[in-house]
Amino acid sequence: MYIEKRILSIKDTQRISISVSIILLFLFIVLLFAFWNIQVLKCDYYKTLAIKNIYREIEIKAQRGLIVDRKNNIIAENRLNFSLFLIKKSIKDFEKTIKFINLVTNIDKEKILNKINKYKRYPGSYSIPIKKNLPLDKVIYVKSRFDEFPEFKIAIEPTRLYPYKSIGSHILGYMGEITLKELNRKKYGTYNLGENIGKSGIEKQYEEYLRGVNGVQIVLKDNLGRIQKVLSEKTPKIGKKIVLTIDWDIQEYIEEIFKDYIGSVGVVDLGTGGIIAIVSKPNFKPESFSSFLDRDEWNELINNPNKPLTNKFIQGLYAPGSVFKIVMALAGLQEKVINTSTVVNCYGSVKIYGRTFHCWNTSGHGPMNLYNGVKNSCNVFFYTLGKKLDIDIIAKYAKMLGLGSQTNIGLPNEKLGLIPTKSWKLKHLHQKWFPGETISVSIGGGMLSVTPAQVLLMISTVALRGNMPQLHIVKRIEKNEKVVSTFKPIFKHVPIKKKNFEILIEGLFRAVNDEGTGRAAKVKGLDICGKTGTQPIISKENPNYERLIKIYRFKAHSWFASFAPRKHPEIAVVVFVEHGGDAGAIAAPIAAKIYKKIFE
Amino acid sequence: MNNYLKYLDKFTFIVIIIISLSGILLIYSVSQSLEQSYYLKQLLWLSISLIAFFIVLRIKTEFVFRSSLALYIILCIILSIQLIAGQIVGGTKSWLRFGFVAVQVSEFIKIPIALYIANILSKIRIIDWFTFCKLIFLLGIPFLLIAVQPDLGTAFILTSFIIISILLKRIKLSIIFVSIIFIIIGSFLSWNYILKPYQKNRITSFFNPEKYSQSSGYQIIQSKIAIGSGGLNGKGYLKGSQSKYKFLPTRHTDFVVSVLGEEFGFVGVSFLFLLFFILFYRQFNFKSKTDREFYFVYLFNFFILFQFLINVLMSIGLFPILGIPLPFVSYGGSSLLSFFIGEAIIFKIKINNYL
Repeated sequence: MYIEKRILSIKDTQRISISVSIILLFLFIVLLFAFWNIQVLKCDYYKTLAIKNIYREIEIKAQRGLIVDRKNNIIAENRLNFSLFLIKKSIKDFEKTIKFINLVTNIDKEKILNKINKYKRYPGSYSIPIKKNLPLDKVIYVKSRFDEFPEFKIAIEPTRLYPYKSIGSHILGYMGEITLKELNRKKYGTYNLGENIGKSGIEKQYEEYLRGVNGVQIVLKDNLGRIQKVLSEKTPKIGKKIVLTIDWDIQEYIEEIFKDYIGSVGVVDLGTGGIIAIVSKPNFKPESFSSFLDRDEWNELINNPNKPLTNKFIQGLYAPGSVFKIVMALAGLQEKVINTSTVVNCYGSVKIYGRTFHCWNTSGHGPMNLYNGVKNSCNVFFYTLGKKLDIDIIAKYAKMLGLGSQTNIGLPNEKLGLIPTKSWKLKHLHQKWFPGETISVSIGGGMLSVTPAQVLLMISTVALRGNMPQLHIVKRIEKNEKVVSTFKPIFKHVPIKKKNFEILIEGLFRAVNDEGTGRAAKVKGLDICGKTGTQPIISKENPNYERLIKIYRFKAHSWFASFAPRKHPEIAVVVFVEHGGDAGAIAAPIAAKIYKKIFE
Repeated sequence: MNNYLKYLDKFTFIVIIIISLSGILLIYSVSQSLEQSYYLKQLLWLSISLIAFFIVLRIKTEFVFRSSLALYIILCIILSIQLIAGQIVGGTKSWLRFGFVAVQVSEFIKIPIALYIANILSKIRIIDWFTFCKLIFLLGIPFLLIAVQPDLGTAFILTSFIIISILLKRIKLSIIFVSIIFIIIGSFLSWNYILKPYQKNRITSFFNPEKYSQSSGYQIIQSKIAIGSGGLNGKGYLKGSQSKYKFLPTRHTDFVVSVLGEEFGFVGVSFLFLLFFILFYRQFNFKSKTDREFYFVYLFNFFILFQFLINVLMSIGLFPILGIPLPFVSYGGSSLLSFFIGEAIIFKIKINNYL
C-alpha cells in the first residue's frame, strides 16, 4: 500500500477548494454575461445578419415587348440566353477570378478590369454582367466549378432576336448597354448599369413601352449561394407590343431591289399617313449589338463612309434638286406670278442678273408652259419663275409643304434640314441675300437641304391636294393582346388652292406618262405621277467635268418623288440614290418596281 | 463492485451523462446538413466510454499512478510512429486506425501527463528550476509530436498543465521572469518562421474579423451570427438556419455551442453552462486522502475547464480559433473516451475517501 507523507494540510485543500469555487463562479457569471450581451442585447442585429445570410432576392428579367408589322409578322422578339454575372463581394482571389473570366469568355484581361471598374459605386452584392449569350458548354463549365468560384452567377436572360436579320435595321434600331451618361438622365432613372436599352430606332423611341417589368423571386440559399427553397415569386411582365404600319413583305422586297444602292426609299399609305416601308442603305445587323460587338465590327460600322448606322430617310440631308420644282410651281401658281398660259422659251441657258444659268438640256426645250416645264424638268422655266418670286415667299411654300422641319414620324434623332431665308442668312452667315441665290434655289440647289422623309411628306401633300398627312410608323401599342393606344390619322390643311395642285399634278402625270423625265417609272394601268431630281455635285462649268463625273463621289444624287393613282391616290413613294446619276434612269425605275409590287 | 457503486458520486455522474447526451442531441441536429450520421457514431462512442468508465473505476488508483510514466512513454512512441508512418486524414496525421475505428492518440496523452505531474507536485514544496525543466520536458515531447501532425489546438491545450501547476504550487520568481522572456522570444520566432499563413490568419482575423469576413474571419462572424440570432429562446430544435444552411463551419465539433445558442437560445446555453458549473464545482470540492490524488483531480479538472472556456470563448469571438472541441459535447470519440477515462479516475479517487 502506498503511504504518502502529506504536504498539504486539510486547511490547505479547503482553502484551494474555496478559492477555486469563487473563481469558478466568477468565470461562469462573466461567461453568461458575454452570451447575454450577444443573444439578448444584440439579438436583433444578429437576427438581421442571419436573415441576410439565407434570403436572396433574385431578379427575373422581363421579356421586352414584341415589335410586329401591320400584318402581325414578328420582327423583333426575344430569345432566352445564358449570361455570366460576377458578384464582387464573393471574390476570394481577384487574380484567379480575372483569369477564369478570360478563360471562359476570351475577353482581354484589361477589358474585364475596365468593365468591373465601371461598377465601383455599386454594392459588392450587385450582379455585374460580364458576358451575354454565353454558349452552353461554357455555362456547364462555369457551373461545374461553382464551389471554387462562388462569385459567378449564371442567369437566364432574354436577349433581343431579329428574325429578319438586317432587314429594316433602321426602323428597328438596336439595343446596347446603358452608359453612365444615360444613367444620369431622368428618363432612365429606374435603370441599372449593365442593363440594355434601345439605342436607336423604334427600340429607342418606344423604350418605355417595350421595357417589361422585372419579376422577383425570394429564395432561401445556403452558404455557397445554392438555392434551397423558393419562398415567393412575382412573375415578370413582358413589355408592350408595338404594331408598326410597316408592311414587312414590301420592306423586304424594296431592300432586295435596292440592295446595290446607297440611299433611301420611303413608301407611305396615303389613306392614313402610315409608313409602309423605310429603307436606308447600307444596313447593319441589329442583333450583333445585342450580344458582344467586337471592336473591328464596331469600327467598321463607325468608319464606313456610307454611314450604315445613319437612317438616311430621316437623318440624311441632301439638296432636293428638281424635286423642289414642285414647291416652285405651287408658289408661282398660288402667288399668281404664273398660270397655265405662261410660256418661257428655253434655249438651253438663260442670262439672269448678268450670269448665265444652264438648263440640263443644253440644246434647249423650246417654248415651255408649266405642264411641260414640270414634265421636262426645264430649268430655264423655273429660273425665270424664281426671278419673279422672293426667296422668303419660296421658303414659305417650302415649309408649308413640310420641308425644313421634322416630320415627327416616330423615330429618334430626326434631322431638320434647311430652307434658307433672308433673315436666316443674315443671322447665321452675316450676309445679305443675293438675288442670284434665289435662282439656284428655284431648281432645288443652293443652300437647300432636306431629308427623304420631308420629300415624301411633300409629295403626299401634293397627292392629297393639300391635305398634309401626319406621317407615322407606329400603328398601335398593345398590352396582353389588348390595345393600349392607337394612332388616329391626322391631316392638316395646306392653304394652297386645289386647282393649283391639279395643274401641278397634270405636269407630274405627264413627266411619267407622256415621255417626260420620269417615263421610266411608268406602269401600265396605273396613273403614276412623279418628279425626278438629278442634283449635280459638280458644275458642268468645272474644267475637269468630263473626267470627274466618272468618279463615284462626283456623280449627281438621284431623286424620284411620286404617288399613284392620280385620281384617288393611295401610295406615295420617294426614292433617293446617293450618287446615282441620272434620276430618270436610276431612281424612277425603282419606284416603278415598288408600285408594281404593291398594286399587283 | 457494489461498494464502488454505492459510493459513486451519482449526481455528478448523471450530470456528465446529461452533458454527453445533449451533445448527441446537437450532433443529431447538424448531422442532416453534414449528410453523415455522426450522432450514431457518437452514441456508439458514448457506450464505449461508459464501459471504459466502469472498467477504470475498478482499477486501483495506486496502479494507475504507478503505470502513468509507462503509459506516457507508450503513447509518445505511438505518436512518433504515427508521424513517420501515419496516413494523413483531413490534413493531419492525428488518426490511428484500428480496423474501422480511428483513434486520436493525442487526446489520451493528457491522462498520464496529469497523473505524472500530480506525482511530481506531491513530492515538492516549491517548483524549482529542476522541477520546472522536468515539467517542460514532460510536456514538450508530446507537444512537439502533436504540433507537427499538425494539430496545434490539441498541442496548445497541453500547455495549460504548466499554468495549472504554477497556480497550485508556489514557484521561484526567477522561473516566471525567465519564462516570460522565453514566451516573448518564442512567439516572435514562431510568428515569423514557424506558423503557416493560415494559422497566422486565424490570429489576425481574431483581432479584426470583419476585415477577413470572407476568409478566416468568416467562421467567427458566422458563429456569432448563429449565437446572436438564437436570441433568448432560440429558433427551435432543428430549425437553426445558420447550421441548416451550412453557414456554421465545423458545427459538429468546434462550433457545437453555436448550434446550441442558435437552436436553444440563451436559455439553452445557460442550462449547459449550469451543468458544467455543477460538474466543476462537485469535482473541485472533495476530500482527498493523498496529495497526488488531490493534484490529479485539480490538474485534470482544470484541464477540462480550460478546454471548455477556450471552446466557448472561441464561439463568441473572444478567443482565436484553435480547433478545440467542447469536452463531452463535441463530436469526437477519442475526446469523449479520454475524458470519461479521466473522470473515472476522479470518481475512483472520490470513492477512495469512503473506503
